[in-house]
Amino acid sequence: MTIFTGEVEVLDPIGMHARPAGQIAKLVKESGLEVVIVREGEETKANSALRLMAMKVKTGEKVTVSVDAADQAAADAVIAQIQEFLKG
Amino acid sequence: MSKELKGLGVGLTAAVGTVHVVAPAQALPAWGKSTIGAEAEATRLKGAIAAVSANLDELASRSDETTAEIFEALKMLLEDDELFEVAEGYLAEGSDAAGAIGQAVNEFGELLGGDPDFEARVADLQDLSRRVQANLAGIAVGLELPQTGQIILVGEDFSPADTAQFTPAVVGVITRAGGPTSHTAIICRARSIAAVVSVPDAFSLENGATVLVDPVGDRVVVGGTVSDATAALTFIDTDEEPIIPVRSNIGTAADAVVAAKTKANGVGLFRTELLYLSASTAPSVDQQAASYAEVLAAAPTGPIVVRTIDAGSDKPVPFLNMPHEENPSLGVRGFRLIVEHRQFIIDQLTSLEAARKQTGREVWVMAPMIATVDEAAEFANLARSIGSFKVGIMIETPAISMQVDRLQGVVDFVSIGTNDLSQYLFAADRMNPALGALLNPWQPGLIRMLAKIGADGAAAGVSVGVCGESASDPAFAVVLAGLGITSVSASPSQVNIVTNALASVTAEQAKEVAAAALAGTDAASAKANVLAALAKF
Repeated sequence: MTIFTGEVEVLDPIGMHARPAGQIAKLVKESGLEVVIVREGEETKANSALRLMAMKVKTGEKVTVSVDAADQAAADAVIAQIQEFLKG
Repeated sequence: MSKELKGLGVGLTAAVGTVHVVAPAQALPAWGKSTIGAEAEATRLKGAIAAVSANLDELASRSDETTAEIFEALKMLLEDDELFEVAEGYLAEGSDAAGAIGQAVNEFGELLGGDPDFEARVADLQDLSRRVQANLAGIAVGLELPQTGQIILVGEDFSPADTAQFTPAVVGVITRAGGPTSHTAIICRARSIAAVVSVPDAFSLENGATVLVDPVGDRVVVGGTVSDATAALTFIDTDEEPIIPVRSNIGTAADAVVAAKTKANGVGLFRTELLYLSASTAPSVDQQAASYAEVLAAAPTGPIVVRTIDAGSDKPVPFLNMPHEENPSLGVRGFRLIVEHRQFIIDQLTSLEAARKQTGREVWVMAPMIATVDEAAEFANLARSIGSFKVGIMIETPAISMQVDRLQGVVDFVSIGTNDLSQYLFAADRMNPALGALLNPWQPGLIRMLAKIGADGAAAGVSVGVCGESASDPAFAVVLAGLGITSVSASPSQVNIVTNALASVTAEQAKEVAAAALAGTDAASAKANVLAALAKF
């Protein structure tokens, strides 16, 4: 397994609130992969909607998604899906 | 004379039953140190979380789709991995299961706190924590209502979790808080449960007492019987013309189809937001024109009054960047969006003009959230430069209500949104259940304001419509006609009854009814005066 990273932007007008955070945590748990959201040295495991909400990421902010996956394609799929959830 | 409590009635059905007071929840035991060890506490905690989770599933299965989604979201919070891990940390320090979940939730409450976007979630989490702790202590938190009998529930206000537990035995509901648009009111109206909300003395009712819930009379009568219930005013179904045109409020093409089957004379409010709220990118002018043409073609015969976009940060349109605001209802919304999004409003008017030409319908356009004559003029000039519309504005702010005389020659018409006008006139948040009584359209402050707008509009040669919720009440619609309002617009389900009411009176009688309303010194007496005056004809 290798760590791949990608940047996502929060476009949802109320930021990373309960709904997208819940969708992300669900996706991460179902994928079985280790996914971490990174913002300026702050790291949060993405398997907890509560932890993600507690980051209080606002609309327009960019965060890094780091995925421990078998290959680039698997990681990219997760990152793309997370971006989709953050579109609001 | 039996004891009578005043409130705000919901719906037209009266009911008699036995009072069942829903007491504030029993106190939870204090947190303590574990006597059985961390591992055994973890097992207990898991069991309690699973039980509350299963209860949420059960509630979801008995709810409509929207409410079921709320329970799904609550379950997700409750079953969060990290929440359990943090609780395990407290267990390792020797806390008992109740203390562990309580402290873990408090910890997340701290992390999420101080952010208005998360306030409701923190409240949800604390509610879940109480449910888990109650389960651990063997205390019931559900309503536990009987399945049979005739009970009248009395409580502070009822949440979606509460109303989902209503059994067929619940024939009436009385709440101390909550307004005409509260969750309780909406559910009771939908299920034809007799309800009176916003009853200050609700908790003076005693368990087991027989009471009449009389929504038409806006009251609860202790010891009353169904024959004491205030009769809803009925108006004969007639083909006569109403004294002022009755139009319909619509938001979609489907609404337009429904409205066309009523007696509606055109559309008094076409809310355009619904076309945009779910779009992630701005629809092209062609796409918008096609959507509008579909609605215009289906709308009932008569003019169609289209309101330009009425979005704000509480009702955000995804493709317009709407930053968070402390007070969205007092923020950049409605026509105020023109500063940042002029092209969007131009595109909307351009699409409407294309749809107007394509369908040959008479289209009036109006802008919401106007506070000054300059704003009204800016919109009117813009709209006239784009299409052949009658041009108007919404009256929702007290500021523009005081300047209707100066709209002469500026706009062709105005339309009063009584819901927002009440909110701004009384400084009472429409979303706050504790303020329902102030948002009652029978409040004398609002009726006087409507009288002034009607008179100033007539003097200025500007026609004055009302498209707020209040125009859907047939008695209030007669008052409006008597105050000089020149058209009303009601929800499709109310169009025929409002039309019948306005066909059953003469213009002179409507003026008499309006005078009776103006003579009322509070909402209850204004309404009582009007019902008495109408009963004479």
